[in-house]
Amino acid sequence: MADHTTLPHRFFLSISLLSILAVSQPDLTKELVSLRSSSESGVIRLTDDTVSKFITSVSTPRPYSLIIFFNSIDLNSNPLQEFRREFAFVSASFIANNNNRSDVANKVFFCEIDESSDSEAFGLFGIQFLPQICLVDPLMENLQDKTGRMEEEDVDGTAESVVEFIESRTNLTVGPLHRPPLLSKTQISVIVALIAISTPFLIKKVLKGETVLHNSRVWLFCTVLVYFFSVSGTMHNIIKGMPMFVRDHEDSNKLVFFYKGENFQLGAEGLSVGLLYNVVGLLLAYVTNALVRVRSVSGQRVFMMLAMVVSLLAVKKVVYLNSWKTGYEIQTYWPSSWH
Amino acid sequence: MAAVESLPPGTPSAMRNAFGTVLSALILVLIGVLAFSIRLFSVIKYESVIHEFDPYFNYRVTQFLSKNGIYEFWNWFDDRTWYPLGRVIGGTVYPGLTLTAGTIWWVLNSINIPLSVETVCVFTAPVFSAFASWATYLLTKEVKGSGAGLAAAALLAMVPSYISRSVAGSYDNEAVAIFALIFTFYLYIKTLNTGSLFYATLNAIAYFYMVCSWGGYTFIINLIPMHVLLCIVTGRYSPRLYIAYAPLVVLGTLLAALVPVVGFNAVLTSEHFASFLVFIIIHVVALVYYIKGILTPKMFKVAVTLVVSIGLVVCLIVVAVLVALVASSPTGGWSGRSLSLLDPTYASKYIPIIASVSEHQPPTWPSYFMDINVLAFLVPAGIIACFSPLSDASSFVVLYIVMSVYFSGVMVRLMLVLAPAACIMSGIALSQAFDVFTGSIKYQLSSKSKDNAEDNTSTKNAPKDDASSGKTDKGEEVSKERSSKKGKKKEREPAEKLSVKSKIVKKKALVLPLEASIVALLLLIMLGAFYVIHCVWAAAEAYSAPSIVLTSQSHDGLHVFDDFRESYAWLSHNTDVDDKVASWWDYGYQTTAMANRTVIVDNNTWNNTHIATVGTAMSSPEKAAWEIFNSLDVKYVLVVFGGVIGYPSDDINKFLWMVRIGGGEFPHIKEADYLRDGQYRIDSEATPTMLNCLMYKLCYYRFVETDGKGYDRVRRTEIGKKYFKLTHFEEVFTSHHWMVRIYKLKPQKNRIRGRVKKLKQKTSSGVSSKSVKKNPWM
Repeated sequence: MADHTTLPHRFFLSISLLSILAVSQPDLTKELVSLRSSSESGVIRLTDDTVSKFITSVSTPRPYSLIIFFNSIDLNSNPLQEFRREFAFVSASFIANNNNRSDVANKVFFCEIDESSDSEAFGLFGIQFLPQICLVDPLMENLQDKTGRMEEEDVDGTAESVVEFIESRTNLTVGPLHRPPLLSKTQISVIVALIAISTPFLIKKVLKGETVLHNSRVWLFCTVLVYFFSVSGTMHNIIKGMPMFVRDHEDSNKLVFFYKGENFQLGAEGLSVGLLYNVVGLLLAYVTNALVRVRSVSGQRVFMMLAMVVSLLAVKKVVYLNSWKTGYEIQTYWPSSWH
Repeated sequence: MAAVESLPPGTPSAMRNAFGTVLSALILVLIGVLAFSIRLFSVIKYESVIHEFDPYFNYRVTQFLSKNGIYEFWNWFDDRTWYPLGRVIGGTVYPGLTLTAGTIWWVLNSINIPLSVETVCVFTAPVFSAFASWATYLLTKEVKGSGAGLAAAALLAMVPSYISRSVAGSYDNEAVAIFALIFTFYLYIKTLNTGSLFYATLNAIAYFYMVCSWGGYTFIINLIPMHVLLCIVTGRYSPRLYIAYAPLVVLGTLLAALVPVVGFNAVLTSEHFASFLVFIIIHVVALVYYIKGILTPKMFKVAVTLVVSIGLVVCLIVVAVLVALVASSPTGGWSGRSLSLLDPTYASKYIPIIASVSEHQPPTWPSYFMDINVLAFLVPAGIIACFSPLSDASSFVVLYIVMSVYFSGVMVRLMLVLAPAACIMSGIALSQAFDVFTGSIKYQLSSKSKDNAEDNTSTKNAPKDDASSGKTDKGEEVSKERSSKKGKKKEREPAEKLSVKSKIVKKKALVLPLEASIVALLLLIMLGAFYVIHCVWAAAEAYSAPSIVLTSQSHDGLHVFDDFRESYAWLSHNTDVDDKVASWWDYGYQTTAMANRTVIVDNNTWNNTHIATVGTAMSSPEKAAWEIFNSLDVKYVLVVFGGVIGYPSDDINKFLWMVRIGGGEFPHIKEADYLRDGQYRIDSEATPTMLNCLMYKLCYYRFVETDGKGYDRVRRTEIGKKYFKLTHFEEVFTSHHWMVRIYKLKPQKNRIRGRVKKLKQKTSSGVSSKSVKKNPWM
């Protein structure tokens, strides 16, 4: 096959050849169909063995195309797993839309290779970055060939981009995407009914002044909670989609919880510092509001000492972490003769 | 507490109160001095100069106001900017800051203190910081007494977040707006505590001042209704609440509509709807309370059942209609703006222009440590102190901190609104802690000495005496709190008084161990000392650079780079007064203010097409750029170049934005043409489009003559094209360190020798007809 032929071209050619060759390898297609029906949302998990069985050891043209999603559980990346779910939506929608047309449905199979468990098969494709999607068309022999890959700038993590990729490369139509609704219809109707029933009771309670809203402890708890989450930089983690922690680049067993550099933070990092921020204030409030009422003097003494040690350590830790993360060194402006 | 109250005047305790008042007045003066002087680092380290970009515009407007008076200012159409469009200044600025500084200047001059407008502008922000800390004192005093007030005022005087926006020379809206914000809140709380219409009116006027000063006034007009709603829901409705809220909405909205830049937005935009909704609700609630007063309980119950059942039916119908309306509209009934209010992640995902600005990024935890420092530790204690017991005033500050801390988490810029709340909370926490610790120390020390000196009968009285004197001594707060809350107290039920008394009886025994209290006190003082050191450091090192004068410290001493002012001075001395100067929009305000020359675009980025035209010119080859600039009557082009001294925020680093913005309007400019394999580079690997564009040529023209190699110290590479000549531009000025380079557009060449005048018009029309496709100004 000459290299300059475009992909759709190759696809047409392969389809025409398929009709002749499909007869010789019907078992593989059947096997794939059974694998597909047994897997969740129709995405077949390819292993080292199945890759050689369905791709490398089958002579071209193969009677089917494979769309492979390259995954890595070990990477622990939220966007990647989200993209994987989107990929599953496309697969499920494709199967549902072409349910009664086996000639279309059995031409394309959605697959997945995980780098962490099947690194050998993964290595065959020479993938440099994730997420990546590759179309193995019936005529593809060199798996390292980049023409079957999705363009780097097209990979934006949405099901629509996958659909576009498939439709532009294979001339098949995926059809409308079926995303599961957030709440099913029965759930919604039950919720509406519950609200409708409880409204009069709620109004009665509000008028009487007996709701949780009238309990100042609830308000106190919520206030401290909002404060805690805000100073932890939780909104930063949500908006930027930062993970709780990442794996070290050099040693994959080592987890990195603290990111050096002012402009980013990891989830666990923010929460732990938020806790340090809060623990000092809460201890101080406990000492000044509650501990003064304790009758035992020695109890007071022990707790205060404990609280002061904890507070001191917390403040020191935050100061240390801050200068480590930002690289700022605070000048103290002592008189120069003191140095 | 109660003991003090019952004492007649003239006793030692009354003396102590008087002494306390004088002392706290003295402390307040010192706090004002502190707030003012900590912001002077920029003047001491640099000089008395206006900072950055926007302040230059404000300065220019103030100059105009002081020269031409208020009416001229109100109707000012500025033809020095956005040439040839111009800008209506009077109707598009928040006039609060300008009017304030103008008034100060006018007053000073009329009492024969001849300060220049610039000096007044430079020192407006520090002066208003002192006012802001006094306003914080007043507000916190209303909430938790004057001890907490003094602590909060001292903390606010030096909180880094506020310093960053109010150092001397930082002449921007926030400088006066934070004062207005705190003062408005104070008056609201004052009205709430006293129920006085006088304060309610003052409150509306303070709100008007805030609307004049800053777009952030929407925070007030949403926070106060939320508090009112909260009070109603938690069963705290009172006539005082009505007096505090209803006049504010009516008068405040009317006054806000007087400000030209707000105008009818005060009633038409969604930011203000919450206040009107709560306005309706509070009337309904007031009616219910009124009816409750005139009906018997049984009748009232019947009435409630009737109204509630009818109301429910009406509500259901309205909701159904609304749902149908929303469902039938194509966008689902939500605008992008309201969505971004409800879901903070919306803007960052779908509105790139918001997401790209660094001020709009969500902050990480070190930002909190940098901007409010140890206050982050103290706030939870303050919150808890506000809840014991919860009053109308303390519930307001709790709501304030919750809202501001949440919004600061979404956008780092709003840290400025959080800072006063954090100071108030920390002031309350510190004051309470000092109260408890010093009280314990004093009580135990004196009871020990009395034990030694006197017999058992006298010790019985001692604790009571000491506890009360300890209170008054350290914080006159307690007695002051009372005096400020007199009006409020009148309306409280006697039962509450009883509970207060019983608390005091208990409080005598509420002490902590002596040594532990001393250690804790020392630790708190250390914490405060650390805060002071941090704030001084932040004020001196982090937030004082004016960015118009740059300095760098190297082994052979201090270097000062004053290239910007050098170049603006050159422009004003060597060019004709009506000449037009083109530069990227960042330098527009400075050019008009310092060089007094007409610019094409400036920092008020209201017209994207105009900016895109300049971006297109900068990204085009020399000839095309000349045509665009010539069509805009531009005589001089100004570029900022940092390659010689290593100044990173120069035009070459901003150039991709010019390409993007230009390409957004004029598609023949494509970003990909300027990138080699997706990388932005200016060395020998750079694309021909990049090497031939106007920006590259104007920045690197004769650059090789500086060191013989053409090594760019910002990009850390040798430039790609070293020797070239300019055909349509000529270099007229390059500043001392090459940071600013000014070029003049060459006149058109004569086609035939002689008879210049006759042919000039023909040639120009010939040129313009060629450029019609790419140039919107023809």
